[in-house]
Amino acid sequence: MAQITLKQIGHSYSGGTRPGDYALCPLDMTWHDGRTYALLGPSGCGKTTMLNIVSGIVTPSQGRVWFDQRDVTGLPTARRNIAQVFQFPVIYGSKTVYQNLAFPLVCRKWASDRIRRKVGEIADLLDLGAKLGKPARGLTADEKQLISLGRGLVREDVSAVLMDEPLTVIDPQMKFHLRRKLKEINDRFKLTLVYVTHDQDEAMTFASEILVMSGGRVVQSGPPEHLFEFPQTTYVGYFIGSPAMNFLDAEGQGDRAVFAGIPLTTAYPGDRVPQGAIRIGVRPEYLEFVATAGENVLAAMVVDVQDHGGVRIVEVEVGGARVKVKLAREKPVPEGPALLRLPPGKIRLYRDGELVPLD
Amino acid sequence: MPGLYRTLKYAAVLLWSAFVVAPLLWALTTSFKTINGVTGGATYIPWLDYKPSLEGWRELFNTSGTGVNIGQPFIDSAIVTLGASAISLVLGTLAAYGLSRFTYRAGFIRNRDIVFFFISQRIMPPIVLAIPFFLMLKFLGLLDSIPGLILVYIALLLPIAVWVMVDFFNNVPREIDEMAMLDGCTPIGAFIRVVLPNSLPGVVVAGLFCIIFGWNDFFFAFTLTFTRTQLLPVAIVALNSTVTPWWSLSASSLISVAPLVVVAFLVEKFLSRGTLAGAIR
Repeated sequence: MAQITLKQIGHSYSGGTRPGDYALCPLDMTWHDGRTYALLGPSGCGKTTMLNIVSGIVTPSQGRVWFDQRDVTGLPTARRNIAQVFQFPVIYGSKTVYQNLAFPLVCRKWASDRIRRKVGEIADLLDLGAKLGKPARGLTADEKQLISLGRGLVREDVSAVLMDEPLTVIDPQMKFHLRRKLKEINDRFKLTLVYVTHDQDEAMTFASEILVMSGGRVVQSGPPEHLFEFPQTTYVGYFIGSPAMNFLDAEGQGDRAVFAGIPLTTAYPGDRVPQGAIRIGVRPEYLEFVATAGENVLAAMVVDVQDHGGVRIVEVEVGGARVKVKLAREKPVPEGPALLRLPPGKIRLYRDGELVPLD
Repeated sequence: MPGLYRTLKYAAVLLWSAFVVAPLLWALTTSFKTINGVTGGATYIPWLDYKPSLEGWRELFNTSGTGVNIGQPFIDSAIVTLGASAISLVLGTLAAYGLSRFTYRAGFIRNRDIVFFFISQRIMPPIVLAIPFFLMLKFLGLLDSIPGLILVYIALLLPIAVWVMVDFFNNVPREIDEMAMLDGCTPIGAFIRVVLPNSLPGVVVAGLFCIIFGWNDFFFAFTLTFTRTQLLPVAIVALNSTVTPWWSLSASSLISVAPLVVVAFLVEKFLSRGTLAGAIR
């Protein structure tokens, strides 16, 4: 495993250098040894480009890639020793499962008994032991995906494991199984793992750090809980969390954020509250229904209730806006008019789409 | 209803088989006839309708010097066809892989223009090429020789190989190459060890086309040879004389069809195996 450093890495497929030309805008990034990262963002935001630059499939138009103390920018893919799992399982259809798993070791000219031992070990780990002699093309999608992963794991000295939405084509039940398997393997091998996904649950399962990307840029990075509590932009607020963060148009007046004519108390120091048009962001998880009026309590009207099993999503209308409230199953859901409280400590303020820092 | 469908299906298959096999059977019976068996009206069943004779077959391997011997033309045809097909297949596969995976640009010329250039070689009627080929072979001193014919046939077969293989490689996902490189292969290694085995059905199809076109060509075999070298189609035509020897012509056409039938049976297994199915997704 290695520490991977991207220095001013940027890529434009057209070769142009105007801001709109970049699939990946120039950025600096460090992926630490043994940690797991999730790249989260919509399709076309530059996630796959970033992975392909690290593995050498794409040569960046600018910047350098470092593995530990070594500049690998000019190194061909084969010599970077990266394991990559693509969105669609890639297997060598003309080979058996065994030959598929052994292929990287054959390329490295290992002795055949050493290959047999190692392949056997990894096959057992992936529950593929019984299928080693079978043609790989006859397997199911999730087994094929395990082979893709297995070809990365047989190499003991792999620099990093890159996964590009590996569970997209797997059906939901197998997805759960495979996700658990990946997590188990990751815990055991302490991989430097970069996991691309547009599914935030998946990101949260694997990653010690999440990078949210949009339009070729990393919008915010940090541990999952930090991204959840302090989304840097309204975009991150929408993207992380289910349902998304509620945003309300408000106005900064003095030390208060005024929404629908009602001044709200926040955790922001008085001089921090921007004056004029702002937006209030508050997570559906933190909104609560209360019995009596008081500070930060607004009159609301329950419009819709969706039962999600363990939780209920209550949609309410408040001050001309719609907000969502996430309630645990055991909590009572009011009908019709209700009183909604916005906890001051959980209110975030946004100006021009950017988070106003608390301190 | 399924019974009726089955009956109709088998009837159709039988009808088609008869359509395909009948001419061959006709040639087979004719090849065992003598002049009397052919000219005395239609006869079908040996020993009953006519007296079978090996005369037609014997004439093909006449070693007395005055007649024709198609043994040597058969061997020459095999050498030229297999040689030209093998070389076309190797060059064509490499060219097609390059055209499928890398971007070439020379002025306004792009990859697909290059592919079209290859195919365009087959658009011209062969007669247009006869004189240029003749002059070129003459210049090289290769007229009326096996190497000369191989060279010409490569020019004819290479476009077919490139055309078939480009299409095939375009359908092999790029991720397979990328994965092989991630696993530690060089780009050439990825091609030889992973992409090529995966593309075996394509290579077989391209090879089949090359062999069929090469083996069956009459025009260039006729215009570019005189006395020293003779390929099978030319030798068969040379059998003809004022009295058409239907018996030996039938025997020789059976001989010339036989290798292709054998190839077809060998290849059929490969094609139905569907090696590519399930390589991705």
